[in-house]
Amino acid sequence: MSEGKKPRPGEPARPGRPARLARLVMPEEPPPGPFRRSFWRSPVRGPWLTSVLGLVLLGGISVLFATGLLSYASYNPDLGGVNDYTPGKGLLGFYLFSWPSDPDWLYRLNQGVHVTLGLALVPILLAKLWSVLPRLFEWPLMRSPAHALERISLFLLVGGGVFEFATGIINIQQWYVFPGSFYTLHFYGAWVFTAAFVVHACLKAPTVVRALRRRGLRRELRVDTAHTVPESPEVSSLVSTAPAAPTISRRGVLGFAGAGGLLLAGLAAGQSIGGPLRRTALLAPHGQVTGSGPQDFQINVTADEAGVKSPVTGDGWRLVLAAAPAGTAGTAAGTAKPVSLTMAQLLAMPQHTVSLAINCVEGWSSGNQVWTGVRLSDLARLAGAEPPGNVYVESLQEHGGHAILSQGQVMNPDSLLAFRVNGAELSLDHGYPARVIMPAAPGVHQIKWVTKMTFGS
Amino acid sequence: MRRITRWYGANPLHLLALLACFALAGYAAFQLVPSRPEGIAVWFVGAVVGHDLVLMPLYSIADRSVLAALRHRAPSMPSVPWINYLRVPVGLSLLLLLVWFPLILRLNTRYQDSTNLSPDPFLWHWLAVTGALFLLSAIAYALRLRAARRSRSPRRSSS
Repeated sequence: MSEGKKPRPGEPARPGRPARLARLVMPEEPPPGPFRRSFWRSPVRGPWLTSVLGLVLLGGISVLFATGLLSYASYNPDLGGVNDYTPGKGLLGFYLFSWPSDPDWLYRLNQGVHVTLGLALVPILLAKLWSVLPRLFEWPLMRSPAHALERISLFLLVGGGVFEFATGIINIQQWYVFPGSFYTLHFYGAWVFTAAFVVHACLKAPTVVRALRRRGLRRELRVDTAHTVPESPEVSSLVSTAPAAPTISRRGVLGFAGAGGLLLAGLAAGQSIGGPLRRTALLAPHGQVTGSGPQDFQINVTADEAGVKSPVTGDGWRLVLAAAPAGTAGTAAGTAKPVSLTMAQLLAMPQHTVSLAINCVEGWSSGNQVWTGVRLSDLARLAGAEPPGNVYVESLQEHGGHAILSQGQVMNPDSLLAFRVNGAELSLDHGYPARVIMPAAPGVHQIKWVTKMTFGS
Repeated sequence: MRRITRWYGANPLHLLALLACFALAGYAAFQLVPSRPEGIAVWFVGAVVGHDLVLMPLYSIADRSVLAALRHRAPSMPSVPWINYLRVPVGLSLLLLLVWFPLILRLNTRYQDSTNLSPDPFLWHWLAVTGALFLLSAIAYALRLRAARRSRSPRRSSS
């Protein structure tokens, strides 16, 4: 390979003025320690390993990005009002569309993949960062303006990547230590990360192709530790100039990281799959099985936490149905005279039964439960909204607990205001006296302790 | 053009790609940062420093120390290298801890208040998985060791 003799991309053949200036401040000889290439001893570090890990991340993070964008769309932020936690999104909401309400497993699959794959990619990301650590200590710190700019983008890449993974992982454990709302941070952070990720993938594509051509993918995967040899130090500054004897093969490193990913995913996937597999989710927030009663399934807000106490949900409880003039749903500014219904009146309406799951943005699913209640479309007609438009749902919850549901969600015959689950009256923690249940929607929009619904038309 | 390329140090497309990256990242950051700029900056810088300058040096030093200890005792050690049979269970166990430490260490999370579930099982689950990993690794090593001894000891039947 004569490649090493040629100047590397990003390195001027003859130093320009900035390079000469830099040399005054920064001697050509690196200081002792990590800035010297001989400091890095691993014989497997090099473009081949980094490229393979990079390709895995390219595929995996693309899926995370797509499922993340879909998850953002599933909240229907373009309906505005209380649905839009990111009013400053501007161009970043360019692709938004009305989230469909079928198939009913749509959101469950999307979030299960987003969260479980995100966990599985943690060791791949760690291995990738390990493989390129010498680059953090490159000497000289800046070879050219191109090199300087690229290093800034790498700061966004590593900072943004670790930020996205860390906020996601911490959020699903409900450890709210980040500086602001998770939703906002994870959304805008994702765009910072993605910007750096895309440009990095483009700039490194030729390096990846060269590295894999040089050593071959399958060929290297057949090499054991005893036969593992370092790459030529000329092909990349990642390769050690003083390699130690190998203690692990390249396929060993890939297997180690892959095993970590499978372990994390395997110990968490049960919380999304549900059923008997929930017990296998030993390290996942919603892997516990609490019992076999009709109400023994996962929740994420207790009545206590929501500040909902039994007196307000008792005999005095009424469901208020209002119709808002077109375009004002979300403002609760009803004009037509509101209808107030008692539980007895609601139970006298046609009751419907559906089998649906509560699926959380955090990736877990309650598994399908059998819900009984009245159709949202029937309530819309009763409120005088014909044809029904969006609906703004309010709860007895002290904070939050409101959402605008789209017209499609209201019109779906499986969308109910439920009073019973699995044959029993809803418990207070499950939203007694009434909760919204609808297919394919994020759990946070399936409002519990419903008190008022304002329909647009 | 050639002068620009020489001064800049790469193809002008490189510059265009990076400017597009900074424009998009800047646009997103502008929506994000004004709320609590110092908090966000601490998180971004903390992510890089915490990983590159704390976490990675720590596990690299641990790995090198074990390797050095291994080399020191080399003569009395069995002939099949055992470092990876130690690396893998330790690494996987620490990986699980790294991801789930808020629940395993019962930090001040909203978990119990929100879900009505106890955070107690996580520590035991982690310890049990760790135990299983070490057990599997020990079995795998014992099998390797036996295979190595068999292939080394001259077979009587063949002589």
